[in-house]
Amino acid sequence: MDHRGFLRRRADLATAGFEAAESPMLIINPVGEIAVASKGAGILLGMENRELMGMVLENLFVPPSSVADCGKDGHCSISVLRQLQVRNAGGDVIPVEVQCSPFMAHYEGEDTGGDPDRPNHCLMLLADIRERNHEDEMRAARLAKLSLLNQVSEALYGANLSLDQIIEAVLICMTAGQGLRFNRAFLLLVNETNDTLQGEVAIGPSNAEEALRIWQDLADQAGDLFEMMTSYDQSIKKTDVAVNEIVRNMIVPMDDLEHILIRVMADRHVLRVRGDMAMPGVDTMRSWLSCKEFAVAPLTTRAGSIGVIVADNAISGAEISDLDLEFLQMFANQSAGAIENSRLYHELEQRLLDLRRAHQKQKDDQETLIRMERLSVMGETSAIVAHELRNPLVAIGGFARTLMRNLQEDDPNRHFADIISSEVTRMETIIHDLLDFIRPKKRLRKEVVVDRIVAEAADRFQAELEGKGIRLEMDLKTEGKVLEIHPGEIQQVIQNYIVNAMQAQPGGGRIEVRSRLVDGGVRIEVRDDGPGFAKDVGEKLFSPFFSTKTTGSGLGLTICAQIIKSHGGITGAMNSPEGGAVFSFILPLPRSTPTA
Amino acid sequence: MSKVLIVDDEPHLRLLYETELRRAGFETMTACNAAQGLEFVETMKPDLVILDIRMAGMDGIEALQRILERDNTVPVVLNTAYSSYKDNYLTWAADAYVTKSSDVTELLDTVRDLVDARTAARN
Repeated sequence: MDHRGFLRRRADLATAGFEAAESPMLIINPVGEIAVASKGAGILLGMENRELMGMVLENLFVPPSSVADCGKDGHCSISVLRQLQVRNAGGDVIPVEVQCSPFMAHYEGEDTGGDPDRPNHCLMLLADIRERNHEDEMRAARLAKLSLLNQVSEALYGANLSLDQIIEAVLICMTAGQGLRFNRAFLLLVNETNDTLQGEVAIGPSNAEEALRIWQDLADQAGDLFEMMTSYDQSIKKTDVAVNEIVRNMIVPMDDLEHILIRVMADRHVLRVRGDMAMPGVDTMRSWLSCKEFAVAPLTTRAGSIGVIVADNAISGAEISDLDLEFLQMFANQSAGAIENSRLYHELEQRLLDLRRAHQKQKDDQETLIRMERLSVMGETSAIVAHELRNPLVAIGGFARTLMRNLQEDDPNRHFADIISSEVTRMETIIHDLLDFIRPKKRLRKEVVVDRIVAEAADRFQAELEGKGIRLEMDLKTEGKVLEIHPGEIQQVIQNYIVNAMQAQPGGGRIEVRSRLVDGGVRIEVRDDGPGFAKDVGEKLFSPFFSTKTTGSGLGLTICAQIIKSHGGITGAMNSPEGGAVFSFILPLPRSTPTA
Repeated sequence: MSKVLIVDDEPHLRLLYETELRRAGFETMTACNAAQGLEFVETMKPDLVILDIRMAGMDGIEALQRILERDNTVPVVLNTAYSSYKDNYLTWAADAYVTKSSDVTELLDTVRDLVDARTAARN
């Protein structure tokens, strides 16, 4: 057997075993064609291994150039493990791991030439790495999402974003390709003023074409959150009108405890509603969303749940996976924290602003006060000076007139005295204008609670009355009515009445102070257990100098009447049917301004 | 002849009022402070008192209260440089309130009216 014949036999034997091998293997001849293919290679490439023989290797790979120099004259660059792609008979591109080594063989019909002892073929080992790639992809996706969550979290907590910006960021991450990849996301927050869970804002395309365009747009964007937000602004904002209309309709009363959204908030756990699930509120949700399957995640803070995120894949119809849910839960937790943080932060900011304003106002007030005080001091000073001038002027002018009257009609000094008196009159007029006209006429009236003023006035006598064995009873029922009065004057009246009542029962007894709302006014009464007054006295009681008492000026009640009159009210006195006297007054209520 | 008591701590004003009242036909007496005025109200039984408000020591308002406590029939005219006391209800017990002026006509008219009214009431 010659050398070549030996080689051929050996090759034949090897070929038989090779062809039966399960692993994908190819032997490439010096011109780059497949000399032999293993059974496994046939399976990988989707044809009989015999069909592969004679095929140009480059035609199987994508791109063909990746194996350009493989097998040529026994040379091969793929001496280390490399990941390439082949196209199978069905046209699918399959990722493979490839490694070659030189191989010595001689097959029938081959004109190899050259040195027969030198390896002239190439042995290529292939491995289908589709499965492995999928796992890697999963791992990578998970990693990317975690990294994004981390980034979002940093951004949400770190940057001083407004609440709107945070919510926007949350929703973008819910739907972005680099994020949670939901088709649409809806945010609902608890509205404490009307105790409902209320749709706030949503993100997502309204139909498949829109979705395709947006996703295409966003696909090229880098994963940075802020870039995502920017690109969101450009490509999505115009299109999420439809979802925002949907979200505005979402309102669930907080006391609807069975409702799926409220329950998720109470359970504090994410929930996936599959197409065949039936729960309270689910049908409403489906009609809102026009989608059978969706996920709900609670926005939970330490203080409680502040809302929910609802997400679905209404456009793609993709199933919501366990991984999606896991991330949704994680993401919702972070979002809730960020939203709560932002709210607290802005609340704090608002308080600070209020405080600053209050401080500024206080400062302004203080300055105004100082200015006014200065003016007031000036005013007071000039008033004092003016007053002090009045007395000497009266003397000067008065005597000038006296003098004038004492002088004869034709006395030339009479004219001079007249000049003095008229100049003094001029000065008096200036002072009069200054003091009497400019002076505000307004009394020191202010709005006070009538019953409080009455109680205060009566209380002052408590000790004295006790000492005299008189019981003071107060029965004040004007329901907190407020009147604009001079509190000191009104209290003077009440005290006057009480003193009278006290004097009417020197041996002790009882004084009752009553207040009541009457038609158009407030009526205050002071009743005693004394002897009452004689009938003929009644009318004169309030006239000046009338007094049934042996001492005293008799002015008390006159002054009372004047005070009440100056308040637009009336005084009264009568003997009670049960004995004792009743002194009273009525203060009018301000005329209510008619409503248009 | 009706007796008018002038209570004022300004000597020149006392002299002016005395002069003018006498000319108008009144008998006059003067007190240079409120305490003296009170004393004269009791001892001299004037028919009318002209009372200044701002005086050193006891002021006219307090004097008014005390005069009325002793004799609440004697008319009192408050005569002051300050119109602001008009708002003080304690002055409302006086029969008249006249702001001081170099033209004493108003004061004289007031005194005359009050004295006439009192005389009429007595008869």
